[in-house]
Order: sequence, then structure tokens, then C-alpha cells
Amino acid sequence: MRIFHKTNFDFIGFRKIAYGFSLILLASGLISLAVKGLNYGIDFRGGSEVLIRFDKNIDVSAVRAVLDEAGISGSLKQYGLDRSFLFSTVFSGETNELKSLVSGAFDARLKNNPHEIVRIDAVGPSIASDLKWSALKALLASLIAILLYVGIRFEIKFATAGVIAIFHDILSVLGLFSLLGGLFDFMPLEMDQSIIAAFLTIAGYSITDTVVVYDRIRERIRGQKPADYERIFNESMNQTLSRTIITSGTVLLSVFVLFIFAGPAIRGFAFAVFCGILIGTYSSIFVAAPLVFDWLRLSKTPVHLRGSKVS
Amino acid sequence: MSSMKNKRFNLLLIALVTLVAVWSLWPTWSDYSLSRQLNSYRSAQDSLKYALSHREELENARKKSLKLGLDLRGGMHLVMEVDQIDLFEQKAWNKDAKFTEIMNSVRAKAAKSDASVLELIVAEFKIENIRLSRYFYDIRNSDREIISKLEKESDDALSRAKEIIRNRIDQYGVAEPVITTQGSRKIIIELPGISDQNRVRNLLKGTAKLEFRLLRDPEVLVRTLDRINTYLVQNGTAPPAAVSDSSASKPLSASLPVPGSPAGAAPAAPATAANQNAAKPLYNVVGVSENGNAYTSEQSKEFVLSLLKRSDIQALLPLDTELLLAAKPDVGPSGEKLYSVYLVKKSPELTGGVITEAKATFGSEGVQPEVTMSMNSEGTSKWARITGANIGKRIAIVLDGAVYSAPVVQSKIPGGNSVINGIESLEEAKDLEIVLKAGALPAPVRIIEERTVGPSLGADYIRAGMLSLSWSFLAVSVFMLLYYKKAGIAADIALVLNILIVLSVLAGFSASLSLPGIAGIVLTIGMAVDANVLIYERIREELDASKGLTSSIELGYDRAFSSILDSHVTTMVAAFLLYTYGIGPIQGFALTLMIGTAASLFTSIVVTKEIFSFLMGKNLLSEKSFG
Repeated sequence: MRIFHKTNFDFIGFRKIAYGFSLILLASGLISLAVKGLNYGIDFRGGSEVLIRFDKNIDVSAVRAVLDEAGISGSLKQYGLDRSFLFSTVFSGETNELKSLVSGAFDARLKNNPHEIVRIDAVGPSIASDLKWSALKALLASLIAILLYVGIRFEIKFATAGVIAIFHDILSVLGLFSLLGGLFDFMPLEMDQSIIAAFLTIAGYSITDTVVVYDRIRERIRGQKPADYERIFNESMNQTLSRTIITSGTVLLSVFVLFIFAGPAIRGFAFAVFCGILIGTYSSIFVAAPLVFDWLRLSKTPVHLRGSKVS
Repeated sequence: MSSMKNKRFNLLLIALVTLVAVWSLWPTWSDYSLSRQLNSYRSAQDSLKYALSHREELENARKKSLKLGLDLRGGMHLVMEVDQIDLFEQKAWNKDAKFTEIMNSVRAKAAKSDASVLELIVAEFKIENIRLSRYFYDIRNSDREIISKLEKESDDALSRAKEIIRNRIDQYGVAEPVITTQGSRKIIIELPGISDQNRVRNLLKGTAKLEFRLLRDPEVLVRTLDRINTYLVQNGTAPPAAVSDSSASKPLSASLPVPGSPAGAAPAAPATAANQNAAKPLYNVVGVSENGNAYTSEQSKEFVLSLLKRSDIQALLPLDTELLLAAKPDVGPSGEKLYSVYLVKKSPELTGGVITEAKATFGSEGVQPEVTMSMNSEGTSKWARITGANIGKRIAIVLDGAVYSAPVVQSKIPGGNSVINGIESLEEAKDLEIVLKAGALPAPVRIIEERTVGPSLGADYIRAGMLSLSWSFLAVSVFMLLYYKKAGIAADIALVLNILIVLSVLAGFSASLSLPGIAGIVLTIGMAVDANVLIYERIREELDASKGLTSSIELGYDRAFSSILDSHVTTMVAAFLLYTYGIGPIQGFALTLMIGTAASLFTSIVVTKEIFSFLMGKNLLSEKSFG
């Protein structure tokens, strides 16, 4: 079976449209981030969360009414779609009190629908800011490491464009999280540690796709005249199109399975990685390589590539 | 590259890796099948019999089998923080008002930032332009010497706290607890399969600082309370009804008919007029009986405690004294809970460090649980001297700032024995025994993060994880077969080996498998075949260029290698940094992703290549084999 066999797309010719698309994508994400912001999970904002599961179906408003009646303040959401609700409130070191408060309210008012408290998380404010910092540090460090590695393996223009593409991918997903956050019951799209893991996975994978394209360009561009660059870039991308799509395809397949089967705890992560890989595949063709091309065109110096070996 | 010698080495390597992986996962398999066997018996007796006869086998398998993470098996994950401010306060030999002021400001700052407490203290001292040696260690020490001494103190405190907490948990009895320290003040505790979370929480958070302190005379207590009351009137402190909303529901004085005191110093009828309330802000929440004992009610306890913490109130107390509340309430005549208020000397006569043995028992009447303690020789002689010198006086037994009992010394106690009573249940007495035996924590600890997963949710997670694993494996491997035909088989075999390696490395290094870890494996499944895709696509390209089968395969592996290496290294870098900076569950994801990526370099390159050369040798490979 062969898909995308011997294609001949003019990717470089399309690049202005692609830049425009990317800018719109990023801008709408950034505007949403500025206006609507992000939903932070308790990892980053601190607080307590209680996951309650009922034996029988019950409406979220009925559960909320019980909590209101009992005078327990906090927010209640449907969790996943299986008679489970996530109640979140401010941090208290005494999760036991919270548990008995919630449990007592349901025991007294919903006698014929037994419930079980299946999970309690409590994150203090100081640890939440710790977690936030270490998440940021991890992201920054990995971007720098990738920049260095690709810089050593290729050339600084390639590396910079690659890292710009990573930024593009992560910011787009971040924007999507802000835009879509809170819209779906089956995925809360909250920023928590798992989303940071998703970002790092996206960063690693985005550059993977980009490297595949770069590798071919590097192999072919050596000793060529700048006038031929556009043709070489296009040919390289067409030649690698199949593998770019297929490699992303297998990962998308796995992540899709995660999204469907792994439950609500992983769903936000799976969504982030899925979008990230989709955008990452797009950006390695339409952002990373065209950026290198434009840069080379404008600087008008022939490339000095490292590390490539042509047999 | 494909000399005979090289080939044999590769084959040996593959065989070795497979063997090690299977060997490392064998206990997991046997644990699983033994548990199934156990559960298959209908009666508990049969299964017990089987368990006894296969005990060694079972234990061995369990010990070496792949551990499941807390989220999958259910349990408690706690992060506790050692209160370094308290620790440093203890180290100061001179605590004047200025010092208290500085430390309070540090406390306020520490709550908001994650800078090290010591840095905050040093910064604060710099602002005030005071040398550390005014309060810490020797006056001749330089700031730097003191900082390094305090640093060491806090490191010691952290490791001591960890050991004491480990002791408590071990004595409580938790299977496979994991206790580690993080940074300069955090202790991470993982407790699988805990059923009574509340008990564990209480067991962990108490400092277990035991002190024997002399009680001041009742007259002094009453005078002191009067002074506080007058002060509160003068300073116009709002009555507690307006301060603490828990007590807002009813006037507290109403719930304070102190035993044996119909009138006297105790408030009589509930004060209705506001000015009457204002006239005795303290006596609204504290009642005094005829014989000079003071009480507060359950509702106003929090308010009284907050009052006692105020430095302006503390300044009103007689020198070297402290007001403390009872740990447990007494029951008043109408069934309400009353907490005694004690005025005790601040400096303890004796501390818990001398306790060598503690035992939970029932008291002389056989109903009241208590904890008997014995002391070392130094403690015994001191205790004899203290009790001998204070016959007829009361000595309070104070644990973590709350008075358990304050018995009157009847006679000199020569044997170094003492008793804590006033305990509600034997269970609580047992927990006290545990914390007393384990010793006092060097400073208070606080729970700053807690994650509890119930066993039913864990079972759900396992099911979800297994479903994701099998579906993703199925989807990806079927895709590879469809798209690459025979070559797909090689990739699929490599994929199986890859998963085996990830699991066996986890089992071999006793790392545990969590839900994010499973997500990491699922992601690995998708990524592991990438290398094969890159190789196969390249081979197809070479075949299209009519390079011939053998050399196409050779070239495909050769030329795809640099992309594969780059992509694997970048994924590894991201995963490694995630592992380094990540905490808890996220590390599980990063770990499996790292192992999976590393393993895929081996499986998708070396293993598939060996399969191809085997197939070539048997003439089973043609140009059509790559789809």
C-alpha cells in the first residue's frame, strides 16, 4: 500500500498562505489566552478535589443542590461521563474533614443513591507554585537542549526555525486549551502536570518530524546553488511527505486510542498530544522548512552544514 | 557492517536481551497466575491451604514482580514539609521582640514564595541590618559560618524527620511504603493500600514533642485571665461572636455552666446587651470554676487558641509561663464538651527525649486506655528529683502543645515511670505508643499535598490502561502489516520486544507502573514503529531507484539512521528533562517514554535487520515484501 507516492506539491509556494494560517491560529489562541485565560488544575493553582461516584444516574444540578444545601462551597463538575462528579474547593490540609463533610451531605440527602469517594487530591499553594516553576523549567530546558542539539547536528538557522516551529506548536495547543477549555464535559482541558508532559512530548515529536524533513534537505542541498534551493526544498519535502505523514499517523493512532480508552484522567493529555502532533506535522512542512528557506534566501550565503554523511 | 562476526554478535545480543526481559518479567507472570489460582478456589479454606503450601513461591513472585503505582493499586501519596522557621526559632538562644517580629515577617513571606527559608531570614536580617550572631550560636561567628551551621541543622532535621516518619509507618504496618526527601524541606511518602487514611494522617503529622511541665497555682491563673480580660476590654477587641463564625450561632457563655460553679467568676446568664459582652470579652469564652480551674467550650476552642497565639496576649502572661488547652474535652453536666485551660511553666522540667519505652494498656480500672512510659537512667534520676521536689503540686503532661493530664504529684517517683491518660480509645493509645517510641520530630511537619486514590478507581484505571495498551498495539501492528506487508511482521515483532523491554526494565529496577506510565507505553507503541517507517520508506525509495533488494535494504538502514538518531535523541532529551523536573505520576510517564525510546533504537534497527537477513537467507524476501 502506498499513500502520497511521488507527490509534487509546491510547498514553498504555499508558504505565504501557511504563514497567514499560522498567524491566525496563534493570534486567536493568544487573544483567547489574554481574554479568557486558562483553566488551571489544582496542580498549579492549589486546592482540594474530591471525586465522587454514585451508584445510580444522577443529574449534576441535583448533586450541586445537595452541596449548596449543606453549605459546602466549591465548584462541581461532571467528570468523564460515568456517574462521577469532581468537586473542587480551596486547599485544606485536613482532607478528612472535607471528606466527611461531603460524605455526610450525600448520606443525609441522597439516601437511595449510595456514593463512593474514589479520589481525594489536595495540593497546598506553596507546592502548586513549586510545580508550576519546575514545569516551566523543564519546558525551557528542553527547548534549549533541542536548540543546542539541532544546532550542532545541522546549522543554527535550521535549529532556530525548528525551535520556532516547536513554539508554534505548543502555543497553538495552549491557545486551543484556552479556546476550548470548559466547553466539554468529557474533557476538562485544565492545565496540570500531565499537560506539561504533553507539551514536552509535543516538543520532542515536533522536532522529530522536522528533523526528517531537514535531514533530506541537508542530504540534497550540499554543493547546490542558492537558485536551486526552492526546487530542492520542495522535492525534499515531497520525497519525505509519505514518511512524515505515516510516522505521525501511527502516533496519532496510539494517542487516539488513549483518548478513547484511558479515561478522563488522561483525556486532556491525549487531546493535547493529538492536536500537538497534528499541528507539529503541519508546522514541520509549512513552518520550519519554509522559514529556513526564507532565511537562506534573505541571507544569501550558502549553507555550511554539519554532520551529514552522504554515501 | 554485515560481516559474519558482527551478525553473530547481533544475534547473541538479541537472544540475550529477550532472555533477560523474559527472566525479569517471569515473577510478574507467576505472581499473576498464582493470584488467579488463589482466587479460583471457592472456599476461603482451600485458598488458604494453597497459599500456605505455595508460600515461598508466592512471596518470591510478589517481591520481584512488576509493582503497580499508587494510582493503580489505590493508596495515599503525601508530601510533608518540615517547618524550617520553627526549627530556626528553636536554634535561636535569644528571642526578643525584634526577633519575633523578623521571624513573623519571614513566615509571611515564606508562605508566598518558594525561596529557601534561610535565604529569606538572611535577607530580612540584612534589611534590618542585624547580624545573625545576635540571635544564633556564638557572638563571634560570622554570618557565613552561622548560615552554614543552620543549613546543616536543617539538612539534619530533614533526614531525622524522615527516619522518624519511617519508624512510625513501619510500626503502624504498611506494606512497601516509599519515603523519600525532596529539596531542603519536603518529605514524600507513598503508602499503598491504606484503608484508614485519617489515622495515618494523624500518626504522621504530630511532632510527638512530649514535655513534663509544672502547673502554676490556680490564683495565678485567675489573675492572669483577669488581666487578659481587662486588656481586651481596653483594646476594644470585638467579642468572639463577631470574630469566629463557628461560634456565631449562639452566645458561648450560655454553653459554659462550669461544673461546681453556679455563679462566681463564671459568667451567669447569656449576656444579651452588647455592652455587657464587651465588658468581659475573655469570660465570654472562658469560664472559671470555684476551685480555680478554667474551661472553654468546644465551639470557642479555636478562638481561644488564636487568642493565645497573639503576641500582645502572650506579653500579659507571667514570666516563663504559657496558657495551654487540654488535648481532650471533659464532659460537662449537660453533656457539652469542655476543654480545660492550664497555665504552665514555659520551660519543661523534663522532655520526651528520656523516654525509652512506651506501651499502650488499659489503666488500673481496666477501662481507660493509657500509655505507660519508662525512662532512661538520666531521665529516671531527674524525674525522681522533680517529683520529690514538687509533692502536692501538679505536673502537666504535654504532648505537641496540648495537655493530656495534669496529675497532682503524690510522692517521689523513683522508677522513672510515667503515664499518659485521658485517651479516648485503645487505637489512639496505640498510635501514641508508636509516635512516642519513634521519638519527636525535630520540628513540626505539615501536609502540603495529598493524593488519595481508592481501590475501586485504581481497578478502573487498570482496566482503562490495559484496554488502551491492547487497542493501540492492535491498531498500530495491523496498520504496519497492511501498509508494509511482510516487512510489517518484522516491525511488529520488534514492537513486541520493545514492550517487553520496557516492562522488564521497570520490573528489574523495581520502578512502579502507573497510569501515566501506561500512557507512556501506549505513546511508545506509536513512536517505536517510526524508526521502521523511516527505514522502510527509504528502502522503498531505493527499490524504486532499482538498487536491488540487498543493497536497498542496506542503504535504507544506513541512510535512515541519522534521522532516527536525531528524532530519538530529541525525544529522549524531552523525556529526560520531564523526568528530572517532574514530580510523582509524571515521572512515571517520562520514565516509560525514555526506556521505550531507547529500546526502540535497538529493536527497530538491530532486531528488524536481523529478521531481514534471516529471511534473505531463506529466500523469503522479495521486492514485494516492502508493500
